[in-house]
Amino acid sequence: MEPKLRVENLSVWYQRQPALKHVTLSVEEGEVLALIGPSGCGKSTFLRTLNRLSEEQVGVRVTGSILLGDLDIHQPQVDVTQIRRRIGMVFQAPNPFPFSIFDNVAYGPRLQGAADPAALRKIVEQSLRQAALWDEVRGKLRRPALALSGGQQQRLCIARALAVNPEVLLMDEPTASLDPLSTAKIEELVGALRGQYTIVMVTHNLRQAARVSDRTAFFLDGTLVEVGPTRQIFTAPQDSRTEQYLTGRFES
Amino acid sequence: MSMPSVTDRMPRRAAGVAAGLFGLVGIVVVASLVAGAWPMLGEPRSVANLIGAVWDPLRGRFGMAPFVVGTAAVTLAALLIAVPVALGAAVTVVHQMGALMREWTLRVLAVLTAVPSVVFGWWGLQMVVPWVRNRVGGPGYSLLAAGIVLALMILPTLSLFFAQSLGQVPKVLREGSAALGATADQTLLRVELPVAMPALVNGLVVGLARALGETMAVQMVIGGQTALPRGLADPGATLTTQIFTDITAFPPGTAGHAVLDIMALLLIAAMYVLVRAAERWGGL
Repeated sequence: MEPKLRVENLSVWYQRQPALKHVTLSVEEGEVLALIGPSGCGKSTFLRTLNRLSEEQVGVRVTGSILLGDLDIHQPQVDVTQIRRRIGMVFQAPNPFPFSIFDNVAYGPRLQGAADPAALRKIVEQSLRQAALWDEVRGKLRRPALALSGGQQQRLCIARALAVNPEVLLMDEPTASLDPLSTAKIEELVGALRGQYTIVMVTHNLRQAARVSDRTAFFLDGTLVEVGPTRQIFTAPQDSRTEQYLTGRFES
Repeated sequence: MSMPSVTDRMPRRAAGVAAGLFGLVGIVVVASLVAGAWPMLGEPRSVANLIGAVWDPLRGRFGMAPFVVGTAAVTLAALLIAVPVALGAAVTVVHQMGALMREWTLRVLAVLTAVPSVVFGWWGLQMVVPWVRNRVGGPGYSLLAAGIVLALMILPTLSLFFAQSLGQVPKVLREGSAALGATADQTLLRVELPVAMPALVNGLVVGLARALGETMAVQMVIGGQTALPRGLADPGATLTTQIFTDITAFPPGTAGHAVLDIMALLLIAAMYVLVRAAERWGGL
């Protein structure tokens, strides 16, 4: 089967500082790929090049190619808003807009011109159900999103991303700011979304990577050290640096 | 133990005295205005006289409508011109400029906020009044000229406040919007402006207060006409300019002086309404 995302020889510089060096990596359709590695290893940078959010920052240069199907998403003629609808993102800390729960989820569809109230209600309910938040917010959709707990806010952000019906979901340490219970719910949710969406998830939590991912990629100093089935990476890594990291010999 | 508490108490006492003095001055000002205005305010007939449209002190006609209308028209015109321009400037400063350019632009704007109003008035006299005379007609000295001069005067203040308001919108919200496929304009209109709205309203109120209270720059270009203006190209007067004009003509104790006190009270009341509006809709 064709991979969903094919990253070839990707390098990224901030000003003159290299952040990613010659990364080549494929993401299969419907899998959960975990990106692990110490802070500053380039895994977040990698994630942010996948939806071209990296280019919002001044002085970022990207070379190489990222293929979504047949489309090289970093080609200048490609419509970046189109790409971001197909590749959604969930951020490190929940970042709901200071609007109502409903308006948060409806934000993406409305950008594309959706205005029919009945259709919007349907999309909002469906997305909230998918994000396992519906039962907690049903009948309270007009309440401010910021009144929700941190874990609920993060699931709201997942619902918001799902509402535009993306093919790929990028998650940048989605549980970094959450308590254990909320973290467990998000992990459960990722498990439920597996297969339906292709998920690329940065995590600092090795056990989380082991629990939720099909494959794991280990980054170090801007390079991809190795990528493979999660079980194999965690039990029999090919590279000694991976083993050193997993056994806690790098500061993370 | 006693030493630190003594050194602690001194600044607090000084601040308390300062705050007390400040409050006292405010109360004394308002009280003296009310006392001065009372002879006119106490009588129903003179109140009817006050809300009339004819200002003819020699015949005892003290209709303040021309000045209320003048103040409202000039302030509104200034805001209508300055707000869109200031918003555009703020968006440009926050989103289009590099760090160095932004720093310098903000610095220049800050300097412009401190340009004395007489300089704006002088400039208006040479540039705006002839422009209105040639392009719009009339004598040139007009509500419109005053509105334009005021707009220019509050533009730096508004731009600075608006730029600061937009700059405070968290980056994660902008990124969140972009990540959902929003264009830069969509993010601006649907996230940044709504999120920044309370701060924008505060900036607006500060600009509005400045426009409302400005005297010198307006006096230089408005024409000082006390008849009710029929259009923006007509000369007119505002509450502040009329106080300034007549302050030497009406000695304390005369009816005219009481009317000037009432005008001052009106301005203070308008400011109070603005502050309450800022509390209600802004982030003050």
